[in-house]
Amino acid sequence: MNYILHILIMINIYLILSLSLNLIVGYTGLLSIAHAAFYGIGAYITTLLMMNMGLNFFIALFITIPVVMLVSLLVSFPSLRLKGDYFVLATIAFQVIVFSILYNWISLTRGPYGIPGINRPVLLGFKFDSLPSYFFLSLFFVIIVGLLFKLLYKSPFGRVLKAIREDEISAKAMGKNVDSLKIWSCLIGCGIASISGALYAGYVTYIDPTSFTLMESVFILSIVLVGGSGNFRGPIIGTIFMVILPEILRFLGLPDSIAPNVRQMIYGALLIILMKYRPQGLAGEYRFE
Amino acid sequence: MNNIILKIYNATKSYNGTKAVNGVSMNFSKGKITSIIGPNRAGKTTLFNLINGFLKLNDGKIYYNGERIDHFPAWKIARLGIGRIFQDIRVFNKITALENVLLANKDQPGENPIVSLFLRKKTLGKESVNIEDAKKWLKFVNLSDKEDSLAENLSYGQQKLLSISRLLAGGYDLLLLDEPTAGVHPSLAKTILHVIKNMVEEGKTAVVIEHDMKIIAEISDFVYFMHEGKVTFSGTPETVLKNSKVKEAYIGV
Repeated sequence: MNYILHILIMINIYLILSLSLNLIVGYTGLLSIAHAAFYGIGAYITTLLMMNMGLNFFIALFITIPVVMLVSLLVSFPSLRLKGDYFVLATIAFQVIVFSILYNWISLTRGPYGIPGINRPVLLGFKFDSLPSYFFLSLFFVIIVGLLFKLLYKSPFGRVLKAIREDEISAKAMGKNVDSLKIWSCLIGCGIASISGALYAGYVTYIDPTSFTLMESVFILSIVLVGGSGNFRGPIIGTIFMVILPEILRFLGLPDSIAPNVRQMIYGALLIILMKYRPQGLAGEYRFE
Repeated sequence: MNNIILKIYNATKSYNGTKAVNGVSMNFSKGKITSIIGPNRAGKTTLFNLINGFLKLNDGKIYYNGERIDHFPAWKIARLGIGRIFQDIRVFNKITALENVLLANKDQPGENPIVSLFLRKKTLGKESVNIEDAKKWLKFVNLSDKEDSLAENLSYGQQKLLSISRLLAGGYDLLLLDEPTAGVHPSLAKTILHVIKNMVEEGKTAVVIEHDMKIIAEISDFVYFMHEGKVTFSGTPETVLKNSKVKEAYIGV
């Protein structure tokens, strides 16, 4: 039972990541490989506010979101000038820089040692200490975030983002302020990703930079691509599939020495097969070409 | 001279040392159809890109309704009332025809996420008005049965009509039309020309890039002939089409 609850909590954390990345990738058409950076910055800022200033988890999160939104400008500004592959490279650079800072700013982040002993969230005297309570806490955030994106995807805002994805020039000729809309998309997408970071830190009670690497960004992106981008159900199906898949592989009884490698190979093969036969993902609308 | 809606003064634009547009001055009268003709690479499309802000002038000035616009970004120029259709159409492929037209409507504050989330009533109210409006324009170009089709699934001619209905829904005053009838069936071309004439009769102004001499003679009030980045001749369609230089450039030496 605890095992299943653990998986459900991880699904909730990744749902928030994939739904938020979907706004940037699937709607706005900006292929970002920096989502784990925002996930990590969210985790670290919330943790540091809790540990160093003694703030409550929820207050710390409330401060973290706008700060991460501001940091997202570092990714959205390049998106105004760089097209296609060049933007992808810029996001990879950002991801690598964030990882280096987390790894090397030892006086603040303790670098590779990580930060242990993070408190579980407390709300009105109730401590989310047990697995079921943490599951419901993460579920609560998923529902809020899910509703937010359900509304945004369907709104005129979501539609104009799709127009930018389809044809930026045409959108400009129609009077759409493409630059400001791209910035909005990144502000919201990255700001929401920080919620996942806080939830992860509060759940695992220990964070270190290796949870927020480039590989993690690639993993979040592959959730969106495997599930399918540009609609609501794609990222949900992708998250469930990609989080459960390694757990199923666990039951294959592979020797520990090769299991992680086999897992990576299966991911790679899966992406290639999807790209060839189903470029829009399992349930998506938009395909990258 | 307040019947001049768009004034281009000494516009110059060069790419890698070659002047694509070289000291062009033009006036466009309100409520008229002005054609720009000339051989390929004469600078016609570049001129359109300069007017709607996709390219910035190296030299010269552009005034719209007396206001200088050549330093504005493209989206702002569109909001001032200059609409455009492209030679290569540029519909939003993975979006339905109805949404394509809805996007053209400039009056939807819900395109800002904060408004969309927190002023839902206002957004939804506007949305239902805009949907009615968009349906009207789709009906106007005979695409009512394609409302829910993705734009990429429409035929070439239908996409052309869709781009015209987007132009209508945008409520622009000045229309930049880059070869509006190129590549479509003659009967559809007739419909498109009819729509353009109708719009101009309702007080809009059109600037048309066109190659077909018959069409130019039929619709234009005034014609500019461009060659190698310069305006080499202008006048009423009759005089321009009779001009020997124009004939030479078109028929070839």
